[in-house]
Amino acid sequence: MEENYKLSKWLNDEMSAEELSEFQADKDFAIFEKIKKYSSELETPAFDEQKMLSKIVTSPKKEVKIIPLFKNWMVRVAAILLIGMGLLFTFRNVASSTEFADYGVQNTFSLPDNSEVVLNSGSEIQYKKWNWDNNRSLNLEGEAFFKVAKGKKFEVNTTVGKVTVLGTQFNVKQRGNYFDVSCYEGKVKVNFGNNEFILTKGMSVAVRDGKTIPIPTKNNLKPEWLEQEMVFHQESLPSIVAEFERHFNIELELNATGNGQLFTGTIPAKNSDTALQILCTTYHLKPTKVTKTKIILEND
Amino acid sequence: MSKDEITGICKENIFSSFFKSHAKSLRNYLYYKFGNEDQAEDITQEAFIKLWQNCADVPLEKAKSYLYTIANNASLNVIAHQKVVLNYAKSSPNKESTNESPEFLLEEEQFKSKLLQVIEKLNEKQRVAFLMHRIDGKKYAEIAKELEISVKAVEKRIHLALIELRKEFENFK
Repeated sequence: MEENYKLSKWLNDEMSAEELSEFQADKDFAIFEKIKKYSSELETPAFDEQKMLSKIVTSPKKEVKIIPLFKNWMVRVAAILLIGMGLLFTFRNVASSTEFADYGVQNTFSLPDNSEVVLNSGSEIQYKKWNWDNNRSLNLEGEAFFKVAKGKKFEVNTTVGKVTVLGTQFNVKQRGNYFDVSCYEGKVKVNFGNNEFILTKGMSVAVRDGKTIPIPTKNNLKPEWLEQEMVFHQESLPSIVAEFERHFNIELELNATGNGQLFTGTIPAKNSDTALQILCTTYHLKPTKVTKTKIILEND
Repeated sequence: MSKDEITGICKENIFSSFFKSHAKSLRNYLYYKFGNEDQAEDITQEAFIKLWQNCADVPLEKAKSYLYTIANNASLNVIAHQKVVLNYAKSSPNKESTNESPEFLLEEEQFKSKLLQVIEKLNEKQRVAFLMHRIDGKKYAEIAKELEISVKAVEKRIHLALIELRKEFENFK
């Protein structure tokens, strides 16, 4: 390496006498010597130092300005707004969201993972948007049909029991002490009290006051209420009346006695008059319209 | 080279003596680099103005490297390379030897003008290092510091510059 830069050594007069005499013998020495000689005579164009110096010294010294961040009230307002919006956003995501369907209507909506939920009339669902994909758990009051996207465990909690699934379609209904779950696809696990049921396609389970009620296997792909039908299994008249009120958004007053029989069957639910007609015929009742939405049922 | 005063460079007399000892060599360095007088002087002035404005933050012993750093950063934006126009000093010491033959003088003139052309052709790095040594008479160590490279690298550049120059003269012969 040292050898490589002998020319720079020579140019800087660093060569030893020995190296120098060796180099002087080189045929190119004369040229190098000339380059060295004449290049030292070179100079650059004139440079007016004094002029530049006076320019520099008279240049204004920059003052360091400190602008307080919150001097301007507009900035304060903007900052407060921004913080507020941030809090609101966080709150909306972390706090639970509520979806509900009023009497007489159904509400279809999607959960953050695109699972579909159809809420039947007079029902309510509460869930947390935040971290939904890892914590798919919601609280149901009323009746709803679920089409669950594949993913982690999906839980539906009701006051009576809990339904756990992975990815499937099922219906959950909870009314007071009554609770039923129907599975339309996949597998559903139902817990209530200390009992556990595994439902597969077409199977249902119903519980009233802590006791199971047998329900025949179904072949339909959707719950009946989605197709405007009402299905009852050993239902008492007051429960049916409550269901009617929810579904048709009407007010029914039951002024009848001695109707202790339980009802099992399907009632078309497209038209409130037809449905009422069927109910009244079955239970020997007489409907009297008081107002547009209030009807009194009396013994026929 | 910098006298180790404790008093800052903000004092005008200190600043101007610092300016006088470094302005020309900085300007020359930039001139070798760009081959443009105006640009070289602009950046020199800019660098000194920055130093002057920030004099309170720059201790005198750091001032020189501060200056070159600013100049180097400023020159990153300058790409244009024009010809480096150099002159021979009018009062060159060998002018006295007038007893040379006319042929010799002619040859000498030719050699000189050829040398200028050849230096122009050198690549930027070699030219800068070579001219800093030849014109400003700087030590390799000084050049290394100003270019922010090692002394070895300076030696290499100078060595290669000489080889390059000789090559060109071979064609000239």
